[in-house]
Amino acid sequence: MEMNNQAMESKYHRKLNGDTVLIVGMLALLVGVEGFVIYKILAETWEISGGFFYLYVIFVGLMVVIEAIGCLSVRKSIKTHMFEFRYYD
Amino acid sequence: MSEKHESTSLVKTLRPFHVWALGVGIVLVGEYMGWNFTFAKGGVLGSLLAMLVAGAMYVMISLCASELGSATKLAGGPYDWARLFIGPGAAASVGLAVYMEYIALEAADAIVVAFIAKSIFPELQVFPVTLLVIALLTFINYRGVVAALTLNFFLTMIAFIAIVVFFFATAFGTVNIHPEYLFQGALPNGMIGLFAALQFGPWFYLGIEGAAMCAEECKHPSRAVPLGQQAGMITLLIGAAMTLYLCAVLIPADTLGVSVYPLFEAANNSGIFIFIALLGLGTFLTCVASANGCVCDSSRSWFALSRDNYVSSWFSAVHPRYNTPYRAVIFTMPVAIGFAFSGFLDQVITFSIISGLLCYVLIPFSLIRFRKLFPQTTSKIRPFVSPLQPYIAYFAIAIAITILSTLFWGYKYNLIFAFVFYGVAYFYFSHRHKSSNIENDWAEMGWPLPKGSESVKVKTEAIGVGDE
Repeated sequence: MEMNNQAMESKYHRKLNGDTVLIVGMLALLVGVEGFVIYKILAETWEISGGFFYLYVIFVGLMVVIEAIGCLSVRKSIKTHMFEFRYYD
Repeated sequence: MSEKHESTSLVKTLRPFHVWALGVGIVLVGEYMGWNFTFAKGGVLGSLLAMLVAGAMYVMISLCASELGSATKLAGGPYDWARLFIGPGAAASVGLAVYMEYIALEAADAIVVAFIAKSIFPELQVFPVTLLVIALLTFINYRGVVAALTLNFFLTMIAFIAIVVFFFATAFGTVNIHPEYLFQGALPNGMIGLFAALQFGPWFYLGIEGAAMCAEECKHPSRAVPLGQQAGMITLLIGAAMTLYLCAVLIPADTLGVSVYPLFEAANNSGIFIFIALLGLGTFLTCVASANGCVCDSSRSWFALSRDNYVSSWFSAVHPRYNTPYRAVIFTMPVAIGFAFSGFLDQVITFSIISGLLCYVLIPFSLIRFRKLFPQTTSKIRPFVSPLQPYIAYFAIAIAITILSTLFWGYKYNLIFAFVFYGVAYFYFSHRHKSSNIENDWAEMGWPLPKGSESVKVKTEAIGVGDE
């Protein structure tokens, strides 16, 4: 019985790590792609966009930071409830 | 609340990847076409700002939707949240807004599929193919939600991979780009263009809140909805940035603003056959996936309205074998065909955007009310706690109203018509449901009474005892 519990616990943690890797990987891709695109466009149009570039910095910052905090909350929620709701059975 | 449930409940089989497929499947079409109207208004800088402002708003709304969807676990999505936490008038308005938003989009997608088919096989007629596409997707959704959303998963995945492959090939120098296009089309209409471009910003993400509408059919909604919805949101943010860059460096600014299939046109301009084929296929598949997801979401909204007697309860029947709301699914067909053959599709699509923006005001407001009525954080009431609330809910409302106000330039009459339509719906259903005296059954959901209603109930019971 204890063996079964241990096996289940390790399976749950393995699956949780899978979810974590998926989210972290996508967030890393998001930061990389947004950074690349914004840098390329602002660098090429700096003569025009130099006066209001901070608008882009504010909104991309808001977007990435809120999404990252949101993803951490999703992970925390899954970790808290995974045994209670038997997510990975 | 529900009085005449006709039969069994919806089947609970969906997983996070189905939620992802539903959300991204509906929206990805907006990255293949439509978003480029931002370019006509504000050039590359206006388009970039619209993408970021709308992106920030949708991140906040998707977090609100994740919390509400995983808490209520109901098929109506925004409609059910408004019904439970705001009131019947707002619920009916949102339910109708969601229905209109998705069914108009389904009609538009089916027409584009027919046009693509005609461009490949010129002997085909557009109208019969449109009809065939709508009928086929209705049949798939009639047979079962798992089959419909598994199909969506594969179609959407192929369309998204096409964008990713094209982007990395371009970024690593496989494709010849034109950086000078960025400066040439930077800001054609001056600073006012930056603001005007906002009205088409939602095209990049319009409909992602629909991912939470399959909560009632999820095996574990408290995991599937937040995980699928956030993964979908990140996918769209990545796709939007890649699309904007690819099109801006491959298509001259003056033609990008009026292009029908900008991504396909960008692939054509690259001159590499594999990308032309991949993005052509992606354009076709994303239209099919979007129309498919729209049938699913619009039927769930109609089903939820029917279940609570806002419209005839005849539509709330669940198929005994396939466990789908089959009458609501079939009913999407004549309405979508009506939209498709109306001949005023651009107006219908604008109405769809306005309907979506109305939802983006009421979804965060539902969350604010939910937090006030049920402040407890227990696994039964709130298994997923959205961060930074209620501040991001207020901020999302402010951005949605700002974008809505920009529609006044160019779409004044659509805006006025939408306000009148939803205003009438609000007052009609508020009045009708006040007289029918139906109350939410919190115990059926396993929830306690909302904050503030305990004292009212005790007072009512005391008056009742006194009368006896």
